[in-house]
Order: sequence, then C-alpha cells, then structure tokens
Amino acid sequence: MDVVAENLNFTYSPKTKGLSFRALQNVNLTIKSGEIFGIIGKTGSGKSTFVQHINGLIKVQKGGGALKVGDYDLTDKKCDYKSLRAKVGMMFQYPEHQLFAETVAEDVAFALKNFAKDISAEEISVRVKEALSTVGLDYNEVKDKSPFDLSGGQKRRVAIAGVIVAKPEILVLDEPAAGLDPKGKREFLELLLKLHKDFVKTIIIVSHDMNLVAEYCTRAAVFSGGKIIATGTPKEIFSDRNIIEKSGLDLPLTAALTEKLKSKGIITDSDFTVEDFTEKLVVALKNGGKIR
Amino acid sequence: MRDVSFGSYFPANSFVHKMDARVKILIAIAYMVAVFLVSAFHFLGFAACLLFVMLVAVVSKVPFLRVLKSVRTIIFFVVFSAILQLFFNKKGTVVFWVITDVGLLNAAFIIARIMLIVLGASLLTLTTSPVELADGIEGLLYPLKWIKFPVHEFALIMSIALRFIPTLIDETDRIIKAQKARGADFESGNIFKRAKALIPVLIPLLISSFRRADELADAMDSRCYAGSKNRTKYKKMRLSFRDLTGVLVVAGLIVGIVYLNGFYALNSLAEIAGAL
Amino acid sequence: MPILEVKNVSFSYGQNEKALKGVSFSVEKGEFVAIIGHNGSGKSTLAKLLNGLLKPTGGEVVVDGFSSNDKNAVFEIRKRVGMVFQNPDNQLIASIVEDDIAFGPENLGVPREEIGKRIDFALKAVGMENFRKATPERLSGGQKQRIAIAGVLALKPQILVLDESTAMLDPQGRKEIAAVVENLRKSGVSVIAITHYMDEAVKADKVLVLDRGVVALSGTPKKVFSQKAALDALGLEQPLAGIIADKLRAQGLNIPENIITEEELLGALWTL
Repeated sequence: MDVVAENLNFTYSPKTKGLSFRALQNVNLTIKSGEIFGIIGKTGSGKSTFVQHINGLIKVQKGGGALKVGDYDLTDKKCDYKSLRAKVGMMFQYPEHQLFAETVAEDVAFALKNFAKDISAEEISVRVKEALSTVGLDYNEVKDKSPFDLSGGQKRRVAIAGVIVAKPEILVLDEPAAGLDPKGKREFLELLLKLHKDFVKTIIIVSHDMNLVAEYCTRAAVFSGGKIIATGTPKEIFSDRNIIEKSGLDLPLTAALTEKLKSKGIITDSDFTVEDFTEKLVVALKNGGKIR
Repeated sequence: MRDVSFGSYFPANSFVHKMDARVKILIAIAYMVAVFLVSAFHFLGFAACLLFVMLVAVVSKVPFLRVLKSVRTIIFFVVFSAILQLFFNKKGTVVFWVITDVGLLNAAFIIARIMLIVLGASLLTLTTSPVELADGIEGLLYPLKWIKFPVHEFALIMSIALRFIPTLIDETDRIIKAQKARGADFESGNIFKRAKALIPVLIPLLISSFRRADELADAMDSRCYAGSKNRTKYKKMRLSFRDLTGVLVVAGLIVGIVYLNGFYALNSLAEIAGAL
Repeated sequence: MPILEVKNVSFSYGQNEKALKGVSFSVEKGEFVAIIGHNGSGKSTLAKLLNGLLKPTGGEVVVDGFSSNDKNAVFEIRKRVGMVFQNPDNQLIASIVEDDIAFGPENLGVPREEIGKRIDFALKAVGMENFRKATPERLSGGQKQRIAIAGVLALKPQILVLDESTAMLDPQGRKEIAAVVENLRKSGVSVIAITHYMDEAVKADKVLVLDRGVVALSGTPKKVFSQKAALDALGLEQPLAGIIADKLRAQGLNIPENIITEEELLGALWTL
C-alpha cells in the first residue's frame, strides 16, 4: 500500500477568526510500500497533522486535496476507516498510557476484536500470544496480570503488542523512543527492523532524533511551517545546508562531522549511517583526505 | 484540539473587563435580584433590565450577537417552561383552545425572566476570565475564614481545576485517537453500546489523572507548600472608580424597579378606589 | 565544604526490595552532577530523597547543614533544593505565569513587594521576561519547563534537581534548558540532572551511574564514558562521538581511548 498525498491542506478551526491555523499547505508526498520513512521538522511544523491523516484520525477537509492509502480514497465519504485502520497501525508517544483492560491478554486483543468481529477465541489467543512473544514477553507469565501491575518497560511492550497484533501493513510511529533508556531504545529499534522484515511493509517514523533518522530511514520528508520543503534520502537532506537552515533542524552527528572534515579538506561521501561514515572516513584518510 | 476556548470569555480591553471581579460578581447578583423583583406582568421593569444588559454589552465591547448566543444553550428549557404555562395554566379566560390570557402573560413573563437572567450571567462570564472569576469568588468568600471555612484551599482547588481543564481535554483527545487507531468505534450503536465504548477512554484518563495528581502533589511539596498557614498572597485586587460606577448603575436599576412596582401598585390601588 | 551530602542512603518502598542500597556522594557549590542509569535503577527515588519528598530508611541526606533525619528541617531543605520534574504540565498550578511563580514565595510567607522582585529575577534567569502575563497552555514544552524552573528559582534554592526534565522536550526545548542550566552554574547554583541523554551528561562535572540501587560507576564524564564494557553491562551506552571513535580505532586509526564529544573527536582527527 502506497501513501499518496496530493495538494493536501488542513486548517484548524477554519471558521473562528484569530484561532484558525493552517497546519498543512499543499503537501505532496508519496511514501512507497517497503520504505522506512522519516517525517521530520520542528514542533508545530505539521508533521503530526499529516500522519494522523494517513489512518483517518484527521479527516481530509472539504477541498483539502487528495489522499490515497493503497486502494483507500480518504476523500471518499464512503471510505471504510475501520478496515483502513486495521492495515495502518499507529502508535503515539507513551503508548502505555492507553492501556485500559483488566488483563494484559484482553488489552492486547482489543484491536483484534474491533477489527474482526467474528474472530474465534482460539484465533485471538494465538494472535495475542504471537504478538506478546514478538515484543519479548512471555504469554503465560503476563496474560492474566493487570497491565497496571507491570513495570514501565513491560507496559510499553504490552502497548506495542496491542498495536502490532492486528498485523498492520503500515506502521506509523510518533516519537517512538520517547522516555526509553538507551538499552530500551536499542531493543525497540531492533524490534522495528524485525517487524519490517516480517509483516510490516512500511514504517513511518515521526522523530526529532536526526541520528535515528540517518541510521534507519530509507527516505524522509522535511516539514516546515505546514509545507514539505524537501524529500529525499537522509544523505540528500543532511548534505543540503539550505534545507537544514530553513527547517531549523539539527544535523546528525555523522553529517556534522562530515561538514567540519570537509572544511579541512577531508572529503567523505557516506550515507551518514555510523557504519558507512567510519568506513568512508578511514578510506579517505588513507588516501590523503580524498575519496577515491 | 489545541485552542479550546474554555467557557465563554471574550477577551477585550473595556471598562467592564477592567472592573474588579468581586464587584462584577456582586453586581451580577444584584442584577438578578432586580430581575426577580419585577412583580408579575410589569413588563416595564423587564424593559429597564434589558436596557441595563444592553448598556453593559455596549460598554464591554462584546458584540451583541455573541451575548445573544448564550441564550441558545437554554432555549429548550425556556420553551419547555413557556409551554407548561401555556397549556396548564387554568386561570383567566380562554382565548384560544386551552390557552388562557393569564397563561399567555405568564409564559411571556417567564420567558423574559429566564432570558434576562441568562443574559446577565453570560455577560459576567464574557467579560471576566475564569481565573479572575475564581479570584473574585475567593475574595468574596474571604470573610468566611472567620467561621473556619477553608477559603484558601477552596480557591486553590478552583485554580488547579481551571489550570488542568485544557490539559485534560488534550489528553482525552489523545487517548480517543489512540483507541480509534486500534479500531475503537465511538460513533455507532445504541446508547449502551456507545457508553461501553467509552471505557477504553475513561480508564486511561482516570489513571492519568491520578498520575498527574501525584506528580502535582510532589511539585507543590517541593515548592514548600504547607497549607494556608503563614502564607502571603501576591495578587491584590483594588477597587476603582469603575467599580463604583457599576455599583451605582445597578443600584439605580433596583431603585427604579422597586419604584415601578410601587407605581403600578399605587395605580391599581387608585383603580380599586375609583371602582368603589 | 559540600553543599549537599548523601551519606550511605538506603530506601525501600514498604516491604519491597530496597530501591537504594547505601548510596553516597556529595555535591559542591556550583557543581553540575549528572545521574544516569536505566529505567528502574533507582534514579527517581534518589531525586525524591534529595529534598525530603521521601525519607531515607537508612543513612542521611545533609543539605547545607540540615539533616533529612531532623523532622523540623524539611522546609529548610526544600528551600535549598529545588526540584523540576519530567512533565511540565503536571507542575504548573496556576493559569497565569506570574501567579504560578508566586506560588513558592507565597508558601514561604515572603512579603508582596519581594515576591514581585523574585518573579522578575526568576523570569530573567530562564529568559522568559516577556511571558509574565502569559498562559502556560499556549507555550511550547521548553517554555513551560522554563516556567517550571522559574517557579523553583523564586525560592532562591542553592541546588536545582532536574528529574528527567528534558525527557518530554524536543531538541529546541532541550537546548533552552541546557542554556538555563549553564547560566545557573555560573551564578553558583549547583545542578543535579537525572537524564537518559548521554550528551547532556557529558557536560557535567561529575557523572554517577546507578544500577539496581547502588552507584555502579562515578567520576568525570571522561572517566565514566570511556568504560565501554561496563556501560554496556549496565544497559547504557557511550555518547555517539565515543562510539564513532571506537569504530575508527577498530579500523586501525590512531584515535585515543577517552573521546566523548564531537570536539574531542575532531581534535583527534586533525592530529592524525
């Protein structure tokens, strides 16, 4: 399923003078199936408004342009949002704050029961078990526990299981690593890569962490003042001084180093992942500062 | 959901906006007393009240349409009361079907009374921010301290409630979206089904409120909170000539209504005397 | 003499396993101490012990001569140790900035005129002078958190504890808080920052690593962050500059062992 936005516009409180705010302005973007796509930009640049359009949490406004997700036309009044949301999973910051059920198993099963009314109890328990084991929890140990009795890290895992249990094709994550310690963050990113190999075809990450974007994203779109000011690979985006200045974003460390090395005549041409950057730098230094 | 304007405050820089909130609350109460003072069917008294409301609206720079809008929310209640009067008042002579002349007069009287009271109350909230209102109420309750009423605690609770309403609205919005993303459906089914659908919203909201309360308590303790003992207060309210003007105008209204009531009373006395 | 001393402090919640087991360290005037550790290592418990929100079950915390074991000293301690928490929304109590900042001084019974001066001082210290009459809801996360800091500074504390105060902020907000911390240090206020961000800890004078309730590592950032194996075992990691330096060294470049910042890494590369 590709996500295709054409001339997408959105205004908050369009009718109230003084309060109305144009959050999206003529956004054109195609996210292809299979990508790990970064949505970057400062707070208030329109990132969240855009991604919430993708599963219909925010509806396309009248005359607000076109948005298609696979075969779903989100400008169509008859668009079946429920089946769309089964295919487009979305996880907000601190997902553990949405836990509500009496037991872990029930909470994880919530999405399944909503999306497939006639699903059998056996099927549910199989899927819940699978989802919990994917996030590294032991089904028999936690299934009957109250989600509120778990540790912070376990709660987060249960919440993630509650989203991926529906096996979405597209997974949208808003600041996924917020509040995690370094180890938790590493494990979470590894989980994402595993899901991407497994059944999640497209991952869309909204993040302020440019190191994360440089390391994991295949492409990214830069939002600024409700508009997309650049789309491209991390390499294209982070080597363009104009984009960085216009959007007010930080550079990932590898790109910042590349820039400074260049000013001293050491030219490297990496994709800004740590691995590639160090390899290219070693080669450049061995060749007296130039890439060969 | 960012810009939820709470209540009906209409920000402006007017004579009325700048008045002391305590005085405005007292004037609003006095005005309502005036409306109730108007005795049955003396519509001239209501005209005086309407004049007062219009005067305040003009001076406060709140668009009159905005003031009228406040009546919209209680229109059902008004219509209901009027219908009760129209159909169930058996006094007087029948003018049409079961409707009597007294019923008609009563209905009109009740409509006017309710509308005037709502107009007055909404002018108070239109010209006074919730924070000022809370401060005003605290100021007015202050004398109750002598009978051990916890004025400070009461005021603090109001202030915190006001402060957290927008935060909790944001939070609710966030939780609803997260559950919708997991396929929750809040829009279809009968009333019981919909109520049940709210559980996945209400429980996280409740838990987050407890968490917030916990953290807030820690933050307050950390800032040396220890109840009202030995506490000073930074904000001071001062009375000005505006407040005096307001008091005089509303006093004039009350005197006028009492006078009108008396005038009518005298008139009817004279009529009775003449008939004899 | 240190302004704050944590002496062999232990703590347990009820009958549970101890959250802290014999933690000791001290903080000098104007010193910046970072405390790191994975979730559940006891960091936040430690923070709450520093200003008497929790009482140690063993040992004591001494602030400017006042002991946590002295029941009557708790307000003296809180006056001296200001706390800023993670979620700015949950620490602001008033709907107008100046009213919120006045809350602390009001609690202490500070006279009205003096409260006005303290509001000026606190807003200036966090660079928010123009927001005196503003409504917190309309501010950004970083601005809200600066107001929360101002609310604490109005008590004129000698020590500021930041309990993961940047965790919910965007990079812009984190930069704003870092600038405020830098200013406070210059004015002699000690800062204790509990954080998940290694690049924040790198700027500290001293780093403590907590693990399961004990201080597992401590020392200058250089000393702590150059111990890659130990950090890995504690579920932490080096700052990214250190990781890159290690990779370069592994590929045969002559890069020294204890690099933790971008500047140091560049310095090492120039001297190759």
